[in-house]
Amino acid sequence: MKRIFDTQLIGPFAAMVIVALIVALTTERFLNPGNLSNLSLQVSIVALIAIGSTIVIFAAGIDLSSGSMVALLTMILAQMLKFVGIPLVLALPLILLMGGLLGLFIGLITAYGRIPSFITTLAALIAFRGLALTFNNGSPIFSLDPALEPIFYGKLFGVPMPFFYLVFFYVLAAFTMNFTKLGREIYAVGGNPAAAVLTGINVRKVQTTTFVIAGFMTAVGAILMSARLNSGSPNYGQTLELQAIAAAVVGGASLAGGRGNILATLMGAMTIVIVQNGLNLNAAPSSVQNIVLGLIILLAVGIDMWRAEISGLMGRVFGRPSSQQSSNVKKEA
Amino acid sequence: MTPATPLWEFVDITKAYPGVLANDKVCIRLMPGSIHGLLGENGCGKSTMIKTLSGVQQPDSGQILHNCKPVTISDPQAARELGVATVFQEFSIVPTLSVGENIFLGNMPRSRFGVIDWTKVHNEAARVLAEMDVDVSPETITGSLSVGEQQLVEIAKAVAMDARMIILDEPTAALGEDEIERLHQLLRNMRERGTAILYVSHRLDEVERIVDEVTILRNGCVVRASGETKINVSEIVSAMVGEDIGEHYPKERNATKDIMLEAAGLATNLGVKDVSFSLHRGEVLGLGGVLGSGRTEIARALFGTDELTAGQISLNGKPVRFRREIDAIRAGLALVPENRKFDGLFFNFRASGNVTAASLGGLSRFGVLNLKAEEQATHDLIRDLEISTQAEEKTVNYLSGGNQQKIVIARWLFSASDILILDEPTQGIDIGAKIAVYKLINRLTRTGKSIILISSDHDELLAMSDRIAVVQHGTIVRTVDASDLTHDDLVRASADTPQSKPKEAFA
Repeated sequence: MKRIFDTQLIGPFAAMVIVALIVALTTERFLNPGNLSNLSLQVSIVALIAIGSTIVIFAAGIDLSSGSMVALLTMILAQMLKFVGIPLVLALPLILLMGGLLGLFIGLITAYGRIPSFITTLAALIAFRGLALTFNNGSPIFSLDPALEPIFYGKLFGVPMPFFYLVFFYVLAAFTMNFTKLGREIYAVGGNPAAAVLTGINVRKVQTTTFVIAGFMTAVGAILMSARLNSGSPNYGQTLELQAIAAAVVGGASLAGGRGNILATLMGAMTIVIVQNGLNLNAAPSSVQNIVLGLIILLAVGIDMWRAEISGLMGRVFGRPSSQQSSNVKKEA
Repeated sequence: MTPATPLWEFVDITKAYPGVLANDKVCIRLMPGSIHGLLGENGCGKSTMIKTLSGVQQPDSGQILHNCKPVTISDPQAARELGVATVFQEFSIVPTLSVGENIFLGNMPRSRFGVIDWTKVHNEAARVLAEMDVDVSPETITGSLSVGEQQLVEIAKAVAMDARMIILDEPTAALGEDEIERLHQLLRNMRERGTAILYVSHRLDEVERIVDEVTILRNGCVVRASGETKINVSEIVSAMVGEDIGEHYPKERNATKDIMLEAAGLATNLGVKDVSFSLHRGEVLGLGGVLGSGRTEIARALFGTDELTAGQISLNGKPVRFRREIDAIRAGLALVPENRKFDGLFFNFRASGNVTAASLGGLSRFGVLNLKAEEQATHDLIRDLEISTQAEEKTVNYLSGGNQQKIVIARWLFSASDILILDEPTQGIDIGAKIAVYKLINRLTRTGKSIILISSDHDELLAMSDRIAVVQHGTIVRTVDASDLTHDDLVRASADTPQSKPKEAFA
């Protein structure tokens, strides 16, 4: 347990609490039960997709494809439900499978074709959006299936369903990353691929697996997106990939790979959504929201980069240097 | 003996960092026309001294005298103006630039209009290289040169700025024997011309060969300063470590008659050809040869990294085929790579993650890791191998080179491998840690494990091996008992290369 709830969580957790406090103090309606439940709805899609994005980042890759993949998968789901007549219970697993297969495809090209994931997923970002437009002459498809909406809007014991998906997938992801061979191998590949090869880890297989996970989680996000709007559209999910990566980064994941805590990504996603929510409640225009989101990303990475300086400053202010800081100094000496 | 005045003199230089007294009243005299060896274990204060002399930092107290006059070296630029050039261990050349550009980097000759005077760059660079007797064109892209030649370019920078004092921090760590000889010849020439040279090295055999005087540091203090011409290696070691360490190479002979591994006619696309040898249980088989002779490639062929194009490996008499590293690891082989930073360690993990990385399959059930067993095993290995206990809590980037190397070796103790290939296992670690590695080798062979040792330190190779296979051009030319070989034999045998590297490629 010590392993999951380690010090890496303190920063992102503090950031989330501070942001929530600021919004709560400045915005009356923020703490309304209605708004809080709305918040968990808002965060769910990006936070679920961010699980995959973060795991790819742990293995020193990057996934830019998820937003477009959401659009493509909502169109395929809509097509299946509305025009092909495949029942919902069959369509949903098929979408999950398809997400995994698309991820597998990207992963194989990246790992075995030795093309950087920035390029393969950038290509996928563009191509998937194009593919989504080939369905229904590029028009959205509405009113898919009445049974679809409860997946997103349904409640269990008064709690919105997406809350349970978040708990389920984050617990699963945290378990995988911290307690399984696969999780350890992902961190190893991200930390030092050359050393991983020489310790017998199948680096390409591990890299491919991270993209399969990302594709699967994107499919989960796509299903929720379709359920939320009871539709499919080639325009869904724009910049969702960037928000998911932002969640990982705000959560402290190193883009160089090998470092980070998956639960921190959830906090990163929460931080971003709370800010957006606060701005919404105060009727800020979307331009301002984007500017603020950009600043949050900078600030989050900045705080991470300047951690030593900041804790040194804290030490001087409060007269007690943190143990981390003092031991760093000794090492450099 | 020399009535001449010292070029530089440190008088009672003291420098403290938080919690560490790095230099404690250090005195040193650097004479013109003399090569001064600076020795000591990691953390003894050598780098602090170098930083002070090159203006990177200021001493807390004490005096620096230049030609007997007190001076302040306020920054690296001031050091340069006083004629001090420092060649740091990590190269400061830009591989994508030409040799000439690198030599004048930051100091480019300009013409009247402020444009770089390329004619002058090339002519001056060519003059410096000729003066140094280095056969490299100033237009060559530096990255295409061998590591040794890049090192010479680094020194050419110092020569070009007419440095009267050159500091070399472990200049030979990455060089082969013939390149070291070339560097030494260059240093001797510079000494003739009256340059003062401060030479830092972990390789005592070279120190013996080239240095005129030595200063030895321990815990920030000078423990020995000698102007003697003859330097006794074992005395140096004792002075550095601070106690009589007894045998520098505590070799145990544990070789048996059983053949553990047999290689017959191995060849790969990376230049390994017709390699045949046998490795006995409990034996240390040394691979000797110059840098680039193919020793590392032989290791790669054995470990399944490079595909065999011919030949057969047998383990305990049974033929095996390794398609990739994991096959070799499962069969009981282990590789401690030459470059622990790039190929060995996971800097994002604590000791535990590094120790178990090659054994995750055995450590898990249905894909779930047994973290308790991992922590316990790591704890035991840290205690056994006397690794810093910090390694349990902190990621391994906080550890010294010696501790890091022990962790890489611990990985293969945990995986219970039978055959360990150690590629330059003591490179860049201090004497104390080296001896710990030698004792570890003994302990492994005592329990019936076999070792293939690759080392460019000839003394180490001769002392720690049972037999030595001399490697030239990717093949083993002969295998002899280590006791039948002297240092000179080995140098000659491994450098005996009729088709030496074609010079034209770099002209």
